[in-house]
Amino acid sequence: MLRLLRHPVLRRLAQAFFVAFLLMVFAFLLIRLIPGDPAMILLGDEATEEDVLAYRKLLGIDGSIPSQFGRYVANLVRGDFGVSIRSREPVLSIVGKRLPVSLWLTVTTIVMTVGLALPLGVAAALYRRTWFGHAFQIGASVMVATPVFFSGLLLILLFAVQVNLAPIAGYHAGFPANLYYLWLPALTINFVLVPVLARILQSSIVETSSEEFVEAAIIRGTQGWRFYWRYLLRPSLAPTIAALGYFAATVVSYAVIIEIIFNLPGLGMTLVDAVRNRDYPLVQGIVFLSGLLVVGLTFMADLVNGWLDPRAKIR
Amino acid sequence: MCISFGRRGGRKLPVIDAANLSLDRRQAVGIVGESGSGKTMLCRALIGTLPRHGAGIVSGTVRFDGQELAGAPERVWRGIRGREIGYIPQSSLAGLNPVLTVETQLVESIAAVGSMSRQQAREEAVALIERVQIPRAEQVLKARSHELSGGMRQRVMIAAAIAQGPKLLIADEPTTALDVTIQREILNLITQLRQELNMALILVSHDLAVIEEVCDEVMVMYAGASVEAGPVAALSKAPRHPYTRALRVSRVDRAVPGRDLEAIPGDAASVGSWPAGCRFWPRCALADEACRRDSQPALMPTGQQLSACIHAERMAELEQ
Repeated sequence: MLRLLRHPVLRRLAQAFFVAFLLMVFAFLLIRLIPGDPAMILLGDEATEEDVLAYRKLLGIDGSIPSQFGRYVANLVRGDFGVSIRSREPVLSIVGKRLPVSLWLTVTTIVMTVGLALPLGVAAALYRRTWFGHAFQIGASVMVATPVFFSGLLLILLFAVQVNLAPIAGYHAGFPANLYYLWLPALTINFVLVPVLARILQSSIVETSSEEFVEAAIIRGTQGWRFYWRYLLRPSLAPTIAALGYFAATVVSYAVIIEIIFNLPGLGMTLVDAVRNRDYPLVQGIVFLSGLLVVGLTFMADLVNGWLDPRAKIR
Repeated sequence: MCISFGRRGGRKLPVIDAANLSLDRRQAVGIVGESGSGKTMLCRALIGTLPRHGAGIVSGTVRFDGQELAGAPERVWRGIRGREIGYIPQSSLAGLNPVLTVETQLVESIAAVGSMSRQQAREEAVALIERVQIPRAEQVLKARSHELSGGMRQRVMIAAAIAQGPKLLIADEPTTALDVTIQREILNLITQLRQELNMALILVSHDLAVIEEVCDEVMVMYAGASVEAGPVAALSKAPRHPYTRALRVSRVDRAVPGRDLEAIPGDAASVGSWPAGCRFWPRCALADEACRRDSQPALMPTGQQLSACIHAERMAELEQ
């Protein structure tokens, strides 16, 4: 077993599992740190002490915190995430219904991020001394500083109200029809992500372009797409991809606000409701599962990086 | 030729203002001088990559095979770089792309010449690697920069420079970053390749000994100007410029045990603060009023060489 861990990728995977475990513990503890008790919220102010205690037992949140944790972990191992306190529906089935919406939002966003940030970053690097470069610098700062709930409303006003290119809100499942509902929310998140990513890419390309091997390639007569891809872009991609993995993760948290603005029935909205109701099992389940998603995405970014740039290979 | 740093509209700062260099087919010419004398700038001008250093040719010509290249558009240069003129850049230890294999980089240089199948280009790459005397060619082709030693990287850079069979090879301090035993191997390799491939060679070095070993002719540069030029033998036996003499006596291999090395007094004149008159006078034992007063002298024939010293004849007497 320990021998296996010498393999870099497997070691990285083991790390990922450890992070997932920590995440589960945090999710369990954090929701219990928030004042308020699900039984009291459900039963209202009129309930007696005995009623609350009995109800807690029914919900499975009686006893000390360590004993609750023990039961929770034991159930998790069997694949049982528990039942929502509010709706009595299994957590897994709620997540199963809501997760696809959030996943689609994440994927659409990231595809859009790459599609926009890559050309923008390259252009900003190549033309950094022209008006375009300066406009990019200013534009990027303004965009990053704009909160998503504001840019979101602005975009709705522009694309859904002025020109009828997107619905104001709502969602309809099924690819590719769902893209019609998703592109505007994705664009809103990208209002923040694209400028940051493009600037990371821009500065790495600028840095790469002063490397000796770039000069050497020009001197050898390397030209055309080969030169741009092999000598400028590829050696500059590592920081961008690492950031992209991290961004994919932040999309999950942006999704909370975005799903409220655009009324998307994803995990984010469910999570906010669950926290409000102190729906312990549901909050734990969502935080843990979406956390797993984040861990998986960053792991994938590392793998892609190792493949594109041997210097960044996981060691 | 005259090359200046300078911004649009701003003050121009000359880096080179009186450099002359010419060579025939299959000839080997050395350029020697201290750091900052403009050796690398001159070579960059010959390959058309000056703009990347914020400099430009202000006046003068660059002729290659009868073709005027100074001020030529980028399109023309693309046909020259690699194909007609091979170039081994100065810090070529960092000259290989760290994310690509040696093979990818060599094949791309080779394939630039005419149409060639992948397989052919690969075979050619193996032949190139063997040509620069790297053992285990297959293994090295699959390696990336960080997996190779300094000497290996330098050999790969040489292979890339000669990949398209250029008529002229420019080697800018090709041995500076290497240890002494490997320096010798690399110099021998360059000499051998030059003969095998019938290339002309421009070898840049701050070390006169290196140039004496490899070249037929030498041009000495000081503060952006050619100060002496001629056959290697003549310059090393009877230098007619005090700077050449100083370079010669300060050579490490001429040192006498137990005695201090002879260093050239003072510091090299740096770009932007060249002295008036002959630029070498503050460090020159022969300097007199005329040296300080007149402008940088032009190259004049004396003995078997050309010298930019107004006391060239007096130097000849002194040597005897």
